[in-house]
Amino acid sequence: MNKLQPQCTQKPFFTPGTTMLMVLAAIGFSFGLARILNGLGAVTNLDNFYPWGIWIAIDVASGVALAAGGFTTAAYIEIFGCHQFKPLLRPAILTAWLGYFMVAVGLTFDVGRYWNMWQPIINWQGNSVLFEVAMCVMAYLTVLTVEMAPPVLEGVKTWTPKRPALASVMRRAEKPIVFAYAWVKIVLPLFIVAGVVLSCMHQSSLGTLMVIAPTKLSPLWYTPLLPALFLLSAMMVGLPMVIMESLIAGKSFGHEPETELLGDFAKVIPWLISIYALCKFGDIAMRWEEISFAAHPDATVAWAIEIVLGLIAPFILFSLKSVRQSAGWLLTASLLVVLGVALNRINVYIIGYYPPFAGKRYFPALGEIALTVGLIATLMLIYRFFVTFFPIIASEVHAGTMSAEAQHAAHHDAVQPFWAWFFRGTAVVFLLGFVALYSLVHTEAIAVSLKASHEVQTAKISKGPKIETAAFKHADRPDAYRNLYVLNSPLLNKTNDYYEPVRFTHRTHDVNSGSTCSLCHHRQGSNMNDRVGDDIYKMHAEIDVRISGTPCIACHKDLTEKQFQKCSQCHLSSNESDFPARIGLKGAYHRQCIACHQNQPKTAHAPTDCVSCHHPLVPDHKPLLKIEANTQLSRQTVTGKCLGCHEETGHDILKTAHWNWQGRTPTISGQEHSTHIGLRNIIDNYDISLIPNPRLRDFFHIGDVRLASDWKDLTKIDCLVCHDTTATYRRDASEETIAWNNVAEKVGRPSRANCGSCHFYSGGGAGIKHGDLSPLLVNPDPDVDFHMGKVDMRCQDCHITSKHQIAGLSFNAPVVEGRIGCGVCHGEHPHGITGILSRHIDNHVKTVACETCHIPQFARKYPTQLSVDFSTAGQDRTDIPQQFGKPGYDKRYGEQTWGQNIVPLYRWFEGSRQNYLLGDKIAPDKTVVLNEPIGDKHNPKAQIYPFKVHRAVQPYDVEQKMLVAVKFEDCLWRDFDWNKAIAEGMKEMGRTFSGKHGFVKTEMYTSIHHEIAPARQSLGCADCHTPENIACTRCHTNAAGMNQPEHTQRVYPAFPNRFDFKALGYEGDPAVTGGRFYMFFKKGRPPK
Amino acid sequence: MLLNRRNFLGWGLGTLAVSAPRLLGQEATASNGDEAQHVGCLVDTTLCIGCRKCEEACNRRNKLPHPDIAFTEQTVFRQERRPSAKAFTVVNEYTGAPSPDQEWMKETYAKVQCLHCLIPSCVSACIVGALTKTKDGAVVYNPDVCLGCRYCMVACPFQIPAYEYDVVLTPRVRKCEFCANFVKGTGADPACAAACPTEALVFGQRSSLLTLAKDRINRRPDRYVAHVYGEHEVGGTAWLYLTGRPATEVGLLAMPTFSPAHSTEAIQHGIFRYGIIPFAVYGALGGLMWYNHRRTQQSCKPDSESGQQVQEARHE
Ligand code: SF4
Ligand code: SF4
Ligand code: SF4
Repeated sequence: MNKLQPQCTQKPFFTPGTTMLMVLAAIGFSFGLARILNGLGAVTNLDNFYPWGIWIAIDVASGVALAAGGFTTAAYIEIFGCHQFKPLLRPAILTAWLGYFMVAVGLTFDVGRYWNMWQPIINWQGNSVLFEVAMCVMAYLTVLTVEMAPPVLEGVKTWTPKRPALASVMRRAEKPIVFAYAWVKIVLPLFIVAGVVLSCMHQSSLGTLMVIAPTKLSPLWYTPLLPALFLLSAMMVGLPMVIMESLIAGKSFGHEPETELLGDFAKVIPWLISIYALCKFGDIAMRWEEISFAAHPDATVAWAIEIVLGLIAPFILFSLKSVRQSAGWLLTASLLVVLGVALNRINVYIIGYYPPFAGKRYFPALGEIALTVGLIATLMLIYRFFVTFFPIIASEVHAGTMSAEAQHAAHHDAVQPFWAWFFRGTAVVFLLGFVALYSLVHTEAIAVSLKASHEVQTAKISKGPKIETAAFKHADRPDAYRNLYVLNSPLLNKTNDYYEPVRFTHRTHDVNSGSTCSLCHHRQGSNMNDRVGDDIYKMHAEIDVRISGTPCIACHKDLTEKQFQKCSQCHLSSNESDFPARIGLKGAYHRQCIACHQNQPKTAHAPTDCVSCHHPLVPDHKPLLKIEANTQLSRQTVTGKCLGCHEETGHDILKTAHWNWQGRTPTISGQEHSTHIGLRNIIDNYDISLIPNPRLRDFFHIGDVRLASDWKDLTKIDCLVCHDTTATYRRDASEETIAWNNVAEKVGRPSRANCGSCHFYSGGGAGIKHGDLSPLLVNPDPDVDFHMGKVDMRCQDCHITSKHQIAGLSFNAPVVEGRIGCGVCHGEHPHGITGILSRHIDNHVKTVACETCHIPQFARKYPTQLSVDFSTAGQDRTDIPQQFGKPGYDKRYGEQTWGQNIVPLYRWFEGSRQNYLLGDKIAPDKTVVLNEPIGDKHNPKAQIYPFKVHRAVQPYDVEQKMLVAVKFEDCLWRDFDWNKAIAEGMKEMGRTFSGKHGFVKTEMYTSIHHEIAPARQSLGCADCHTPENIACTRCHTNAAGMNQPEHTQRVYPAFPNRFDFKALGYEGDPAVTGGRFYMFFKKGRPPK
Repeated sequence: MLLNRRNFLGWGLGTLAVSAPRLLGQEATASNGDEAQHVGCLVDTTLCIGCRKCEEACNRRNKLPHPDIAFTEQTVFRQERRPSAKAFTVVNEYTGAPSPDQEWMKETYAKVQCLHCLIPSCVSACIVGALTKTKDGAVVYNPDVCLGCRYCMVACPFQIPAYEYDVVLTPRVRKCEFCANFVKGTGADPACAAACPTEALVFGQRSSLLTLAKDRINRRPDRYVAHVYGEHEVGGTAWLYLTGRPATEVGLLAMPTFSPAHSTEAIQHGIFRYGIIPFAVYGALGGLMWYNHRRTQQSCKPDSESGQQVQEARHE
């Protein structure tokens, strides 16, 4: 009798087919290796929108589904008692085992932290479907291993190695193998049932996985019934999978196909398909309303293929007897089911997955495809390995040879009943334990439901910061109101501050808003302690006064009598836990500011971006610089580091006057459109010229320019001279003395000290040149400069900078990169519109520059040079005493005079000047004025400005009648040979020198802009006008808003006739004789 | 467990029949009893000016990498962005005024981040409990147990969790954690809300924020759409949005009022509660197998070992 018995196939393992598979596997695993070495991003097309690709859809979801052959066949044969199909069981179990093996390997590549794969074993999360899948798959893999044990043990047992060493090992292993085999055989039924149950669990759970994405999965597939559908489709695909596989295996091993057996086996398949199809179609019918076939055409096509080719077609085929009797048709029909189910899994996991916001659809990368193909190839190889060496595939047993099973039945019979029961006991404990564990996990999960399995310490609402109202003050709360407030937010200070607080110019806003205080002060306090205040709209409604459109000042003549509510009195911290509805100070300010500013016309120059109101704080550069350990930076490398991120800025620098020392000079009369004038070629009173003197030049330039090409070299820029915040960096310090790394890490916005490191030393020493700039301004007293001393303004607060071009005007360095004025902050009506007197003072602004009154004296605390006589240089004299601590004679420069607390010279100035340029002819018998301001009374643009005048006696070329450049360093100062020094100097400037020098008197103007005195110290009316003419207050009693009720008086009695009105072009005091008020404002007294 | 077979099956199936409707119902809602303690954040899109300060604050607080484009740059608004591993929150720009009474404004801005759902799908999905909801409502992440399966990303209906695909060995799921510190439990203290210059973001107790939001709607019916986004969406979220135009116009997705996690949890717990169903199936199948084997045994001579004795051992 021929009986089908599992046997080892007697075929060679290595064939062209297997070699081919090996190549595919090798390619696949090389991509796998790349994923391990380079990360998921390198090999896959996964992104935040598509976290799951084909490694999940095919390797895992389809893998599990197609491995269903194992449990369905087991159930069919063992549980439902159709023992005639037993020959099909072992290959089915093997396939299942391999399928799950593929799942495990595929997952290892897919999860991001594969080394953490064991975590679910100890971190249970019973709410997670995936947890259930993971646990179940692990358990089922164990079960499958037990189910696989008999053929493996049989194979090992019958293996008779030729090598003696191995043979002895085998001999020794015989006993344990027999024992294990006996155990397995006894407990196998228990495991078979367990395997079926476990399979049902996770097959369905794989469907439940996607139930959590109702908004992402296309309604073509999304249904809460997904678990049922997945389970039924798995049951449906199991048997066709086994059929397909035995047909293919049979073909590959050259067996006759067992068509008859398989045909019988397939009888049940149409029933399984119809159960699944019924559920599927029923579900679709129930959700018909939701389904839109037009929404995603590609999904609809995939869906249709799945239904027609994967469901309807095989149903028809398997129902036909003729099909079940033909090997070829059986294979086709099975293949359709298998591919249909695989497509279903891919549809649910990929094609039907439409995440919101996703830009492009997912398509697997080469690596993903290759690894998947490689895995499948590996499976086929392993399959072949097992069927080659172990008794798996059934074939006809020749009479006389005892089947392996028959052989081992004998062993089984040998087991004592006691041991048999013991074995069963262990298995029962194992299975019961597993189920108990499961119940526990889920019961616990239900109890805590969505809570964490891992309790996190409770987070608390942060209490609003406790605010010390006393410390939190506006800059000096005024009696009435002042110009400037520092708007700050305690919350921001506490957390993340990116900006310096705003310096809010109250008076300007007051003026611009038409004095409508109620725009901002919508509450009014009755006293200092009133934390809430009254709603002023309500209050005024009650007394029948409408405030909109009416300046508060119209009624509240003197604002001092009213206590307006500080913003901070109500708005303090935001996000207060007791009262979130109250917006914080930060929000109150911003909403107020932005609400007005965003509606201002462009012409209003109202800032609309963050940095126009407050300066960004420079972030800590330490983490940004990433200085490698043990590297020591230098000036060059620091600049390199800066340029690494700020290269654009480097190019900007090369366009600036600070770098080029030449540029546009719109304020030099006759040279308005030139671009060649600048410090490179100007002649002045102090150093005469910089270019021939490299040490001076290097000190004042913002980089290292030695060669002509350096002027275009980004890497020569010295960023630190302006951006060092440690005050340890100096241009003239030697490289070794500077802690470069520290300096570089702490770069920041330039401070007054940075700008001052050059500008406070112009002229070659502290305070020499400007008169209104001296090292005192690094940290000045408010009396010396109110802006810098009182409210700590930085240079760039006025000298507004854009792309490193710095606005401002110098009487020496003539390049102009933008103009500035007091009006930016102080507005058109800087003295307030709170009274007639204020208006009267404002009228002065058209004629008198702000500086004239507000800088009554310059060099107030630090002396400045007033004159120098180069003709006396080179002698060793000690006869001239020091003045204000400064030498009266310096061998290098000659005789010098100094001054302190100087009353400026007042001149008309309309913005441009006559400038001496190298090469201009001079009249040696007259005083040469190097930069004479232009303007007179009749020029409406001109205002009276304060100036410092510096006088010098300096060399000139007697023949060519022009001023000359001088090389002091290493030349004049060595031997005081003027002719040689001038010749050298002129050569460096590209000029010639006749060889004969003389000395000529020169004068140089410097306009005075700094050292703005506090308002109280500004000039009073009587300081300029004759006192008997100005009893203004007789009529103009209202001076609200002015902090200087005494300002009509003389503030500086020591300086009578401060203004020489005749020199300015007036017949006398314009308050008496009439001046420009009449000319330009058509009022006041007509000129006589 | 000395139940006889019939009892066993009957008990199991009976329990199942009784509990099934309940299990598929409102299982998960009961869990959020201490909702009153939950913190939240209210985003008022009519106040947002698109300054991106919240992005910057978030970046610094969470020590995220320096972005390629500076935070002051407005050009990023050209495309609609989503939170990523390098930016837990992003602000997007939508054409049109934020509300009918702000017609001078041409754009609406809306900040996106994790909404910290009251019933977070990501937490429900996470296989190991790497994502958890703290008692005050912040949904936080613990990379130590995460295995990187990315199921949370599939589960989140708002498309929030992002993944560090470029990190080789220790990639993390990244998302806004409400600035709560998982390790130290320092509590939600959102940097973005602190930084917002116009206080378009208000942080506080969720319940009081809801009151605040409704109050704003009542006061300014002309400005606001009478709907607080997040009050009911996916069962409620900790982050709430007030808008002056339909929420779907500013990048907020239309959402059902139940959490997707409800469905999966109902199924999970329905099937696995006390292991009843697996037990029942095991018993039924085991019984069938035993019966079929006995039948074969009786019809021919005993040929194989089977589980019948075992079944007896268990049920008798
Ligand atoms: S928004 Fe997404 S990531 Fe955030 S809590 Fe909700 S489900 Fe989780
Ligand atoms: S990727 Fe991590 S956090 Fe997300 S579900 Fe998986 S284990 Fe949980
Ligand atoms: S709460 Fe914190 S982590 Fe979340 S968006 Fe705001 S700043 Fe970022």
